[in-house]
Amino acid sequence: MRYVKWTLWLLVFLLVGGFLHYTLPQHDIVRIVGTENRRVDVGENSIFWSRAEVGMVNSTSRDVYFINARYPDGKTMEFRNEDTGWGWPPYFKVDSAGLMTKAKDMVSTAQAPVWVSITHYGWRNKLFTIFPNAVGVKQVEGPDVTIIPWFNIFFFVMLGFILLLIRRMWLQFRERTIDPAFDRAGDAWDRVDARADEAAAGARGAWGRFTGWLGSWKSKPRR
Amino acid sequence: MMILGWLRLALVAMVVLTVVYVLIGIYWRSLQREALEKRWAHDAMQGDRDAWIEAGMKAYEGGLKKRLLWLIYILPMIGFSLIFFYVNWD
Repeated sequence: MRYVKWTLWLLVFLLVGGFLHYTLPQHDIVRIVGTENRRVDVGENSIFWSRAEVGMVNSTSRDVYFINARYPDGKTMEFRNEDTGWGWPPYFKVDSAGLMTKAKDMVSTAQAPVWVSITHYGWRNKLFTIFPNAVGVKQVEGPDVTIIPWFNIFFFVMLGFILLLIRRMWLQFRERTIDPAFDRAGDAWDRVDARADEAAAGARGAWGRFTGWLGSWKSKPRR
Repeated sequence: MMILGWLRLALVAMVVLTVVYVLIGIYWRSLQREALEKRWAHDAMQGDRDAWIEAGMKAYEGGLKKRLLWLIYILPMIGFSLIFFYVNWD
């Protein structure tokens, strides 16, 4: 049973972690080798592709901008450059054409490299033909610069805060609403008190009336 | 499509944020009531306890803290504007 529990937790962790790793922005230091505009026919891998530009008719067969790049260690990487528009993930990117202009402007050769930081989300997968989507490009000093992921730091601080808030809200709800209800059900003396509470519920606003209404469904004590 | 996509986003955001607003509103009200009850007990006050607590709740409903709840709508809008600006115009 313990193994089942841990396996489940591991699965949840992998799912949530994978989702965040795919969706959150990352910075890659690369040299742009070239850019291209190529027709794609999106198939079963469609959830890893975006949509047509805002205002255009959406289609699984369309032209997509690509940025071809090389890492300092020589490995290759290909980015797609698609609008996300108003959909998921919430980058609200509508400027793929402008990003393409910037990328074209930063193309360089191995002899005179221009190093750029490409902000992107997503993964590269050769098996399923998946490309990360570039959302920003910026020239940097060299291949060794460190980029502090301010947005991700802020995001995880906020996420921790929200999880803590949800926990606190749940505990408060249990302490103030569920536990008293159980106490009332258990103790006959408390029922007298509960009736007074229900009478006062009218003055307690919508929530009080709602819990009072819930209480009215409980069976009456047998005499 | 262009307007529709934007409208759909705005609508979904409005619904989600309203749910958050209501839930946090309930939570804060509950905290406020608990604080009032504890103060009554701590200060060993005399008289009509319920009336005193209701008066305290009424003061909370019209107070600054209650109005801060509007940040639940305002902060995501600011976040949207910042992301929209930095992704597309910076």
